[in-house]
Amino acid sequence: MSILSVQNLSKNYGSIQALRNVSFEVPKGSVFGILGPNGSGKTTLLGLIMDVLKPSGGSFQLFDESPTEKHRQQIGTLLETPNFYHYLSAVNNLKIAAAIKGRGLGDIDHVLETVNLHQRKHSRFNTYSLGMKQRLAIASCLLGNPEVMVFDEPTNGLDPVGIAEIRELIKRLHREGKTIIMASHLLDEVEKVCTHVAVLQKGTLITHGHVDEILINEDIVEISASDIIQLYSAVVHYPLASQVKKQDQFVEIYFPNGAASLEKVNRYCFEKGITLNHMRLRKKSLEAKFFELTKNN
Amino acid sequence: MINLLKIEWLKLKNYRTFWVLGILYLVSVFAAGYIGYSVEQRALEKSKELKMIAGTSFSFPDVWQSVSWLSSLLVFMPALLIVTFVTNEFVYKTHRQNIIDGWSRSQFIFVKIILVVILSVVATLMVLLTALVIGMLGDRSFSWEESNYIFYFFIQALSYNSLALLFSVLLKRTGLALGLFLAYAYFLENLISNLLDWKIESKPGAYLPLNSTDNLIPFPFVKNVTKQIFREPNFTLLLIFAGFYLALYLFFSIKKFKTDDL
Repeated sequence: MSILSVQNLSKNYGSIQALRNVSFEVPKGSVFGILGPNGSGKTTLLGLIMDVLKPSGGSFQLFDESPTEKHRQQIGTLLETPNFYHYLSAVNNLKIAAAIKGRGLGDIDHVLETVNLHQRKHSRFNTYSLGMKQRLAIASCLLGNPEVMVFDEPTNGLDPVGIAEIRELIKRLHREGKTIIMASHLLDEVEKVCTHVAVLQKGTLITHGHVDEILINEDIVEISASDIIQLYSAVVHYPLASQVKKQDQFVEIYFPNGAASLEKVNRYCFEKGITLNHMRLRKKSLEAKFFELTKNN
Repeated sequence: MINLLKIEWLKLKNYRTFWVLGILYLVSVFAAGYIGYSVEQRALEKSKELKMIAGTSFSFPDVWQSVSWLSSLLVFMPALLIVTFVTNEFVYKTHRQNIIDGWSRSQFIFVKIILVVILSVVATLMVLLTALVIGMLGDRSFSWEESNYIFYFFIQALSYNSLALLFSVLLKRTGLALGLFLAYAYFLENLISNLLDWKIESKPGAYLPLNSTDNLIPFPFVKNVTKQIFREPNFTLLLIFAGFYLALYLFFSIKKFKTDDL
């Protein structure tokens, strides 16, 4: 069963096309990352699925059925920003959310404990810090222990400890068999927690599939010697290297993930009569990978 | 529907602005009636001739009309409550969250319309109560005659509150909706009305959206004099117009909320 399946979904804001013919499926039990820079259409996509925006074309199904409010009640959703009644306490806000979802009130204390807001549960929402608001929004998603959760930039506004906690929470939910759809502009976040990813750019779906297939990492060995040009010509045909690049200060040798050996590179150069004065193993930066994915479009 | 109202109650229960303004309105309705009554009492004590010309506006059955008319001067207050409460949802984006959490768009707008009706009923009950109490103070015995003005007041309150809902749904921002609503209700419509009456023979100004309900309750004092100057309004026609506009306000509020991006 697919939790969400999207067919040719499009959305225009006047002359601006925010989403064009996007199609994909979210399998049950996956952590599905929607990855894209700011303004790429991630929130628009989720807004359409939650019926706060009306599509210009295309369709989608939730739980293999035509979407209604009954389906939304079974999904815990945090969209864009935490939206709560400013004059109400955390508990009173969650009472409203629980009532709309048709869930009991028994869960409220439990979800507030999960996100460490229990101490402040009777404080008004407008006294909360940005991070606390975000935690409350996540608590609201957890109400009624739904099988599916949608998080739009879940770690927004959180400190490093909070970010780690939320990522841990998402991994735990995944282990419990929940399906999570998560939008993020942080590649590293998607790579750390997601099983599947769809990459959006300017409203177009560039690629989607398993994270391991799409975000393949490369090892880069950075080496330098007194004569860079001589060094470059010596290593340009290095065996196993996927490519070799000459930079101003050093030469980069690219290897498939885990295939680089500094010892072998060092010995190879030495045997060619070159003494290295600098050597470093680097993981290809994920941002660079992301630029690579999106630059051709 | 009970479930929807329960959720609306959770939103309102701790909303202090709403209760402060609401109670202020209820007190003002009674105060306006009572002040009117005591001013008239004092004037009548001073002059017997005045009593002949003006009559006693705060005894049965005239009290129904007098209190309804005085209260209609304050009818913008419940409308302000509607604007504040509804635009609040837009400002804090809780309307989106309600939909995301599992309300349909129809449910959201439906319960707001129910709220408009409830507020209009409460406002009308206060007017009824005020008229009863002040009528009892007067020298004539109780009578339901002319109590149809209470019903006209209800129509007026319903109309103002529904227009306030429409303004809120269209404009979404509190200040803008409040400002434009008040400007329309107390300035623009009168301006248009006067222009129409001046240019057009049949004087259609009285049948503009809010005027059609305002005119249901004519000026109640010194009736013996005013009767000779002003024609008695055509109540049936006014009611038909009021109902027509009411249907339009609700239709456009629902349509806007159901089809727009939120």
